[in-house]
Amino acid sequence: MSDLISPLTDELLSWVGRTVTYTAPEPVGAAAIRYFARAVGDDNPIYTDVEAALSAGYRDVVAPPTWVAETVQYMDAGRDADGYAGHTWPLPIPTGYKTVRGGNTYELLGPVHPDTRLVVTWVLESITEKRRMIFCESLVTYADTDGTVLATNRDSIIYVPPVEP
Amino acid sequence: MSGFEVGTQLRDLVRTLTLVDLVAYAGSTWDWNRLHYDGAEVAERGLPGPVVDGQMFGALLAEQVQDEAGPRCRIRRMGFRYNAMVFAGETVTVHGEVESVGDDGVIRVAQRITTDAVGNGGEAKTAVKGAWCEFEVLG
Repeated sequence: MSDLISPLTDELLSWVGRTVTYTAPEPVGAAAIRYFARAVGDDNPIYTDVEAALSAGYRDVVAPPTWVAETVQYMDAGRDADGYAGHTWPLPIPTGYKTVRGGNTYELLGPVHPDTRLVVTWVLESITEKRRMIFCESLVTYADTDGTVLATNRDSIIYVPPVEP
Repeated sequence: MSGFEVGTQLRDLVRTLTLVDLVAYAGSTWDWNRLHYDGAEVAERGLPGPVVDGQMFGALLAEQVQDEAGPRCRIRRMGFRYNAMVFAGETVTVHGEVESVGDDGVIRVAQRITTDAVGNGGEAKTAVKGAWCEFEVLG
């Protein structure tokens, strides 16, 4: 029976096109870059050694390429019930659905340095359905405070319906 | 110039992701979701252990390419899809192979991430599939 009922309600679809912008309270900082590099076990010296970064063609140490899209440091929000303090769309998803990540596509346009102060804009681009799963696609743009776009991220979240007995 | 040709295999990147790694990653990304470190919480959800944050695989995919291409590597675009959850204590391997070398100098690598059978109750799995990375090596 429930197969006939689409989970895409008008209320849910009204979220398409929503936009939110977060401006980081402070620049990235060299310690944040070093912390991440150590956490993922990447010993590339361009993240921590200024001389190595200069000889690689950068003006200062750089963040690992995907850092900007993995961190939520640019936010300064409280934690939700699960402890998460990053961006989420408070979508009216039907009860019982589980949230899983679908995938990411990154376009990396310029390096992120310790003095970069991020301005991050999330746009909810589409909400679609396939086999009662709900697919939510966002476009995230990471810029410096002067408006230079450093990276974009197409972020896909999938809401999976409960298994029916 | 770059030494990359279609079919070139990148060196595998192998990493065992312990609970300590998951905690360090959660801290460094300001992502404190209990799913990544809270044993009681994940047990309640019926999961075999704390879940590796999928976005960490992006860092590993980039690391493999940069390790291979050197300090003047510039990754321009990359993408990946999550296929299976990975849990604390499992060992992941990043595989990569050059798919194309463009006249414009852009090299495209196809990648995937698998887990070994030993750390996963005897079952190997593909954690990330359909991954790709496009990069240049500056002169």
